[in-house]
Amino acid sequence: MATRLQYENNSEIGVFSKLTNAYCLVAIGGSENFYSTFESELADVIPVVKTSIAGTRIIGRLCAGNKNGLLLPHNTTDQELQHLRNSLPDSVVVQRIEERLSALGNCISCNDHVALTHPDLDRETEELIADVLGVEVFRQTVAGNILVGSFCAFSNRGGLVHPHTSIEDLDELSTLLQVPLVAGTVNRGSEVIAAGLTVNDWTAFCGSDTTATELSVIESVFKLREAQPSAIVDEMRKSLIDTYV
Amino acid sequence: MPRKPAKTRRHRPLTFSPFARSIATAASNKKPRRGFWEAKSQTKDFPSSTGNGFSDHVKAETAKAHSSDSEEFEGVVQADFVFFDPKPSDFHGVKVLLQPYLDNKQWDLSGFVDLILEQPTVGTVVKIEDDEDDAVYSIISALNLGRYTSSKCMIELKNYLLTVCQDKNIISKLKSLVDDQAQDIGLLVSQRVVNLPPQLLPPMYDGLFDEVEWATEDEPTEELRNSFRFKYYLIITKIYKHKNADQIKNGDEAIIYIKPEEELFFELSSWSFSFPFHAQQVTTNELKNYRLVGLVMCIEASKICTFRKQLRSLID
Repeated sequence: MATRLQYENNSEIGVFSKLTNAYCLVAIGGSENFYSTFESELADVIPVVKTSIAGTRIIGRLCAGNKNGLLLPHNTTDQELQHLRNSLPDSVVVQRIEERLSALGNCISCNDHVALTHPDLDRETEELIADVLGVEVFRQTVAGNILVGSFCAFSNRGGLVHPHTSIEDLDELSTLLQVPLVAGTVNRGSEVIAAGLTVNDWTAFCGSDTTATELSVIESVFKLREAQPSAIVDEMRKSLIDTYV
Repeated sequence: MPRKPAKTRRHRPLTFSPFARSIATAASNKKPRRGFWEAKSQTKDFPSSTGNGFSDHVKAETAKAHSSDSEEFEGVVQADFVFFDPKPSDFHGVKVLLQPYLDNKQWDLSGFVDLILEQPTVGTVVKIEDDEDDAVYSIISALNLGRYTSSKCMIELKNYLLTVCQDKNIISKLKSLVDDQAQDIGLLVSQRVVNLPPQLLPPMYDGLFDEVEWATEDEPTEELRNSFRFKYYLIITKIYKHKNADQIKNGDEAIIYIKPEEELFFELSSWSFSFPFHAQQVTTNELKNYRLVGLVMCIEASKICTFRKQLRSLID
């Protein structure tokens, strides 16, 4: 299910939060409402961690991560790094990387299997992404924009890209990512998808300006209507139980 | 008088690109060559826009402001500012400008922006000509409190004003104004980027008050026409007040007005009150002795003529 919310009258919630299948990061400094919306949706399933990155609140745009790891920019402080290492599950590798393009959230878009990156990212960074996040890395552009992390958002089940993406690009990206993609908008016509939306396999959060049409597109492409968190977490268990006698 | 064709723009995301910011900085206080003011036609059969997203008449006040060397640009930077009627596609730009309107209170800001944009007859949006980003540099409008009294954003706004007013004398005046006399009050909303050239202020305010006057004649229904016969204007804004009012050194002002016209409004106001602001403020070296406070002023509509004259002489 998709939830609409705002951070201090600002609908760009993807800037102030980062959601993955294993954890959720939320910026400090907003009202308790922001944090508690995430908590009420996610508390039983994954940890919701309040943090800052490099002393700022724009954490969603500075870091990139999935269930395997979290990449932080070089200007993350030691205290923030330690706080994140302590608060996140042990299975998540938290790594601070030296990369000139420090807004990693704007440069990298990923799910648990594939990542799209800014074409000018360093070679070493690309290797680190592949190692820490456990993904296959593709240097791509989205609708001619090099900031792939800003103009598309995808989970393991579907993805939303910049509205001006051509059909050919859409097909190409869909083949690379192996998930169905849709070109659309969020927050009442905003093209900066990842700023207005943060999503994982069973839930999504979008800015309060998102229209009902945009919300239904999001729920359908990310397959949120049938999704239950327990279904993902207990995946293993379900596959072992064959029949009830 | 021939009307300029409406400029249609495909909606693009708002970006305050560094270039646009430099334009705004560079195009300030140098000799302006004031362009012509295209008068709105006074014909009665003029259809008032039904919000179909177009501005039927584009008022083009081109203030060409030249500037010599600025820090970031060498040579002359020219910026042509164009005035448009508010339309729904300006939503994001206007929302960004109105973000700090009620301090850091969470309220229905989107609904408030919608009210402004749905009123194309009174209100102006300032943009730069042929701007790729279609960025909004200023918004000015007047909303009748009584007309929108049932909107969620107006209810929240009224409650906010009644909560923050700590002045016992004023609060009764304020209460009677917003509850009983809401039909006669125009909420004057004026927000802009900090360094918009001041040469644009007289045409902006003249435009607004002229539009209010025209609306009292041109609006299709009696109710709408009456809704623009404002008796009072209410302004919510913020100023910098000196932290230690009794220790003001020579050269230091007690109050710094972020927008110059507000000093004129303050002087002409019937009453006003200030209240503490909680949002984080940008502190520079010059402002370290000042703190940000909110200010609410009420001005009688009869004083507006004086204001317009004073503004013109202030800027020129």
